[in-house]
Amino acid sequence: MSTPNLGRFSDPSILILASLAGGTKHGYAIMEDIETFAGMRPGPGTLYGAIARLEEYGLIEPLPSEERRRPYRLTAVGITFLREQLSSLETFAAMGLRRLASI
Amino acid sequence: MSIEKYLLRLYPRIWRARYEEELLAVLESCPLTFPDTIDMLLGAIDAHLHPYLGAMGLSLYERMKQMLSLLRRSLLTMFCSSIGFMLAGVGFQKMNEYDDFTKAAQTITLVGLSFHLILIGAVVLFLAVLGAGLPIASAIIESALRQKRYGSVFLLAVPLLAFAVFLLTTLLLETILGPGNHLSPGWRLFLERGVFLGVLLAAAIAGTGALCFAVTRSQISEELFRFALLLSIPATISMVLILLAIFVWGLSLRSSVPQLFSSNAGIFASSTAGTWLGIVIAMTITIVIAVVSLVRGLSARSALRSTAA
Repeated sequence: MSTPNLGRFSDPSILILASLAGGTKHGYAIMEDIETFAGMRPGPGTLYGAIARLEEYGLIEPLPSEERRRPYRLTAVGITFLREQLSSLETFAAMGLRRLASI
Repeated sequence: MSIEKYLLRLYPRIWRARYEEELLAVLESCPLTFPDTIDMLLGAIDAHLHPYLGAMGLSLYERMKQMLSLLRRSLLTMFCSSIGFMLAGVGFQKMNEYDDFTKAAQTITLVGLSFHLILIGAVVLFLAVLGAGLPIASAIIESALRQKRYGSVFLLAVPLLAFAVFLLTTLLLETILGPGNHLSPGWRLFLERGVFLGVLLAAAIAGTGALCFAVTRSQISEELFRFALLLSIPATISMVLILLAIFVWGLSLRSSVPQLFSSNAGIFASSTAGTWLGIVIAMTITIVIAVVSLVRGLSARSALRSTAA
């Protein structure tokens, strides 16, 4: 799969995908969830900049609106993409920890 | 209207149609802080630079139509900004016709070098605009003949007519202001500067506007717009190079011939430094507009390509 160019929205995008891996959520719920597991809250402009890109690249898809809130869910492509990204992060983290252990 | 709604107004129409309601719902759930306001402003700039965002909800046909229209608008904005840039460049060229500047360019290496760079950049810019414009002009004529809408052909002639009016006005002014005239200094100033500049600007606006209007009312293929966008890259680069060269020209003139730089050898005997600064500011503004339009155009082009795929 070709890697989507998410630019400066790469980090928030991974956080959004990770949040949606826990189930469908609308914008505000994603924001709250990210704050809970990552300790930081993306700004509304960043959140929707990333959501728009993820939707554009087919990594997430919108579900029918619930009143004014629109939930999103991961697509199959999004799941594969998130798995690849987290695996490479895991490899990177393991390598960093190994090197730290030898200090 | 709330600040949130004002901020959302800064986003592009397509983006708002897709995300406005849900983002408003998010903003109603959490109070807007100052960093959030900045974040929203940056988000609006990003949405303008990536105009395909939010177009996912549109049908394939509508999406292609929107992106093509955006590509055309970006090219027209770039064309208008390059005309503005060229006008500022003409001002610079006129100023350099004075003997003192010619002498400075011949004797001071950096002044001469930057002046030659400006000339090379101007040639590249002119050729790029011409190369992008001629196929489009030919397509306009073809479209006008096919659709029997001959008004578009007339629109293509407007720049030539506007230039002719400008030349005639200049000749008329030379006659009126020639030796033996009995005009008061106020009238002289009005004719020399006000009428001359007014006619020049009106001719430029009329010519550019007519060409833009001709493009919008004609059927022009996407390939021609893509080709024009490709040529707008060297055009924008040459604009940046010219600006840098003019900047260096001014600084080297200031350090090498300070008495000339601080004299009143600018356009219409105005301050040299003021004229130079005015040209630099005007060129910077047109370049910013051109670069933003180029980014938007490239974005629309890549969206068109991915949609077609």
